[in-house]
Amino acid sequence: MDPMATPTREVFWNIEHTWLVYVLLYPTAIAFVYGLGRRVEGWFMGKPQIRWDRPWLRLKLFLRDGLAQAQVLRERRAGLAHLAFSWGFLVLTLATVAVFLQHDLGIPILSGNFYLYFQSLVVDLFGFAAIIGVVYVLYQRYVVRPPRLTHGVFSDGVLLVGFLVALIQGYVVEGLRIVATQDPWGIWSPVGYATGQLLVALGVRELPLQLALHRFFWWTHLVTAFAGNAYLPYSKAMHLLVAPLSLFFRELEPAGRLRPMEIEGAERLGVKALSDFTWKDLLDLDACTECGRCQEVCPAHAVGKPLNPKTFILDLQRQMAGLAREEVTPAVRPALAPGVQVAAATLAEDAALEIVGHSIDPEVIWSCTTCNACVEVCPVEIEHVAKIIDLRRYQVMEEAAIDETPQQALQGLEDRAHPFRGTQASRADWYQDLPYVKTLAETGPVDYLYWVGCAVALNERTQRTARALARILHAAGIDFAVLGEEEVCTGDPARRMGNEYLFELLARQNIDTLQRSQVTRIITTCPHCYNTLKNEYGALGGLFQVVHHTELIEELLAQGRLPLKGPVDRSPITLHDPCYLGRYNGVYQAPRQLVDALGERVEMERSRARSFCCGAGGGRYFMDDRPGQRVNVERSRQALATGAPTVATACPFCTLMLEDGVRTAAREAGREAPEVKDLAELVAEALDEEALAAGWPPEEAGGRRA
Amino acid sequence: MHVVVCIKQILDPEIPPREFQVDPQTKRAVRGRASLVISPFDLNALEVAVQLKERAGGRVTVVSLGGEETPEALRRALAMGADEAVWIRDGALEATDASGTARCLAAAIAKLDEPDLVLFGRQAGDWDQGLVGPMVAEALGWPLVTNVFQTRGENSPLELLQQAEGGYRVVAATLPAAATITNHEANVARLPKVREIMLANRKPITQWSLGDLGLAADEVAPRVVVEALAVPVPEGHCTFIEGETAQEKAQNLARALRELKVI
Ligand code: SF4
Ligand code: SF4
Repeated sequence: MDPMATPTREVFWNIEHTWLVYVLLYPTAIAFVYGLGRRVEGWFMGKPQIRWDRPWLRLKLFLRDGLAQAQVLRERRAGLAHLAFSWGFLVLTLATVAVFLQHDLGIPILSGNFYLYFQSLVVDLFGFAAIIGVVYVLYQRYVVRPPRLTHGVFSDGVLLVGFLVALIQGYVVEGLRIVATQDPWGIWSPVGYATGQLLVALGVRELPLQLALHRFFWWTHLVTAFAGNAYLPYSKAMHLLVAPLSLFFRELEPAGRLRPMEIEGAERLGVKALSDFTWKDLLDLDACTECGRCQEVCPAHAVGKPLNPKTFILDLQRQMAGLAREEVTPAVRPALAPGVQVAAATLAEDAALEIVGHSIDPEVIWSCTTCNACVEVCPVEIEHVAKIIDLRRYQVMEEAAIDETPQQALQGLEDRAHPFRGTQASRADWYQDLPYVKTLAETGPVDYLYWVGCAVALNERTQRTARALARILHAAGIDFAVLGEEEVCTGDPARRMGNEYLFELLARQNIDTLQRSQVTRIITTCPHCYNTLKNEYGALGGLFQVVHHTELIEELLAQGRLPLKGPVDRSPITLHDPCYLGRYNGVYQAPRQLVDALGERVEMERSRARSFCCGAGGGRYFMDDRPGQRVNVERSRQALATGAPTVATACPFCTLMLEDGVRTAAREAGREAPEVKDLAELVAEALDEEALAAGWPPEEAGGRRA
Repeated sequence: MHVVVCIKQILDPEIPPREFQVDPQTKRAVRGRASLVISPFDLNALEVAVQLKERAGGRVTVVSLGGEETPEALRRALAMGADEAVWIRDGALEATDASGTARCLAAAIAKLDEPDLVLFGRQAGDWDQGLVGPMVAEALGWPLVTNVFQTRGENSPLELLQQAEGGYRVVAATLPAAATITNHEANVARLPKVREIMLANRKPITQWSLGDLGLAADEVAPRVVVEALAVPVPEGHCTFIEGETAQEKAQNLARALRELKVI
């Protein structure tokens, strides 16, 4: 062959009857388009929702999480394997497109450098990476078998083995072509080249044999690839097409801002049937990769409650699949969708079918602590919590279907503006003997309003947090006041339990009070109040600057405005990240700095973004747990495992839950229970009262503020 | 079936004891920051009425006598499933007592469109007297069954399930009749649906004054005078149980408890 010739190859070399390709292509394309269409049709039942604002940001995030798979890679090995075979798949698809461009559109693309570098070298290497990835995944899936990967054992196997077979067939074809044509550029496809040499070594030496085998593998490769593509929209590999969409159309609002809803004039409150969800919610269902990461982090699932976020999504998906596939005749259905369970209901029935009680058990939606761990970890940005709350909204507002204990909490919110039934405390109790705590009514406008929150003000245990914070603020010379009896619940428990109406009533009342009192800056000791005041009141016209007490104390310490005696006695300290402070609002650092100032810090295995809920969120504090299914006990076990004698929290609910939980956990372990304390308490105990009494900070350091 | 439920709006009985205060002049509880709620047994009565309506058809009317915040209670009753609401409102009723209240209610019930059954809470959550129900039945000349927790059947005679020691009694009541309702797991008040709350906000509330009821102010003047009303001051005593050994201490404790008739 002429060494100066342009590198290329003949597209249909050694292949006759190429028209057969097109004969096979049609059914493949029809099955593919049909399957895809059915899915898309399902999404269109959904309600409108704008998810294309800020397109550049969306694109950027899509590139990060879709192409570069940053979120997938948070799990190192599985992430790399996935990256390898998904990119392999992508590159091979591009190579096929290149062939199509050359052969069918007559664009001479397969020659020269493009041919050598991309079509030969890059494609060859990516294909090989894909083989390694697939083998690793198969090994994980069928040999290691972690519990989170329990769905679709059969259909996943079909997909993975099919993909592997197609890849191997591809290399065999390439290798045979290289040896049979004595391809001078063969070495540019190193794996294909090696395969060819291997085959020769195995005895495939005669040209006619090489040609015959080449033809055989060429056609079987084609059939495998086509079959895979036809099957794609009926399998979980569908996420290949849908996940990019769910990543692009992701929620950009802060995680702590629950979707607003219209109440007056709404045809239906919340979600009863699939068609009440938004199109993005329905698209989410098909984007699920069944990776099980959400299942792995879910506290409700961990303690054996019936909720599993993955199953939740897949059960909804199944209901939608039944609907979307309805018009396919029964004879075609199983052939099109092996492994997919098809509901027997009619189209209209399925669309209007009440979800809760049909595909989702009521206990499932009430088990959720809204800890957001699932949403945080999901590699394709599926919004589990918004869906669960939407289902609760319908149950509570339209059906009043809720257990008696949480119902009483809601009733309490309505009657006395707090959810703590039977409390003996009033909001003014905790500061009766603290002369430096005054109400706004007494002081007039101040620098900071201290928003106490029901969970702090109305429980004897957590009142200590309020007293501690007041002591700290006073010591640092902060000008603050409280609302006292004028404060009512922010509405967070009502909102998370699905009673949006009640939430709005309470929120409007508070916004009105705050605006009337000219409040601009707020400190809270409760991350739930913090989140609601900061992220949710804005939509109702209440815009405030909100800081969590750990953030403010950290700042005061950094400014040298608080003298500390030195490390606390009960060190080391382990820190529990409250969901509504950490995952929802990204405050991880301030509490850690406080712990570091107080003693040695030991982290629990699950901390920061992977923190494990205390079990109180989403109104769970007001619901009963079945025996053995207490999230707080599980979290307490994790805290105990660190061996730290002190567990620091930054949330009254966490304090209450963990203080209760560590007793059980310690009894189980036959150990002494660690002390559970809010960081405000720990800092207040460590305050150097002598230095304060002598006047702090000392004059030369600038003196204290009035 | 037309069921009438008489409800009373009272100070939230769940306020912390520290906040409960009595005005020594008027001898009434001070409202303070407490919210107003429907008296608990009245909620049970409403639930019984709504269940009866759901079973037998017909409608439910709620009647309440009270001050400016009464509509809140009536709206909640409407949201729970009542169809109409009547607010008896008159400055002369400010100081009235059980008998005056009963007179007004009886007059209002007589004015309503042929009620078949009138339900009351067993007793109001504030004064706990349990007088109004029987007095209204007396004034109307209707049979009265007390301590009912559920109804059965759809027509007269209606079966009323009356609480009894360790069980219940079934009383067949020829309608029209009156009943006082006690709490039971069968009549836990439902949580109103938000949709119903919104609809209730739009339903009209009928207002009747004493004149509308054909009553004069002196007919509702109080006949009972409250002499004294005070918040009890809880007193704590501390007794140490003596004893040489743990066993002896336990025996002494048991004896002390027996003397106090605690065990
Ligand atoms: S929010 Fe938390 S509790 Fe709810 S499903 Fe997700 S992980 Fe589970
Ligand atoms: S919802 Fe997300 S995290 Fe859970 S299995 Fe599906 S893709 Fe994975």
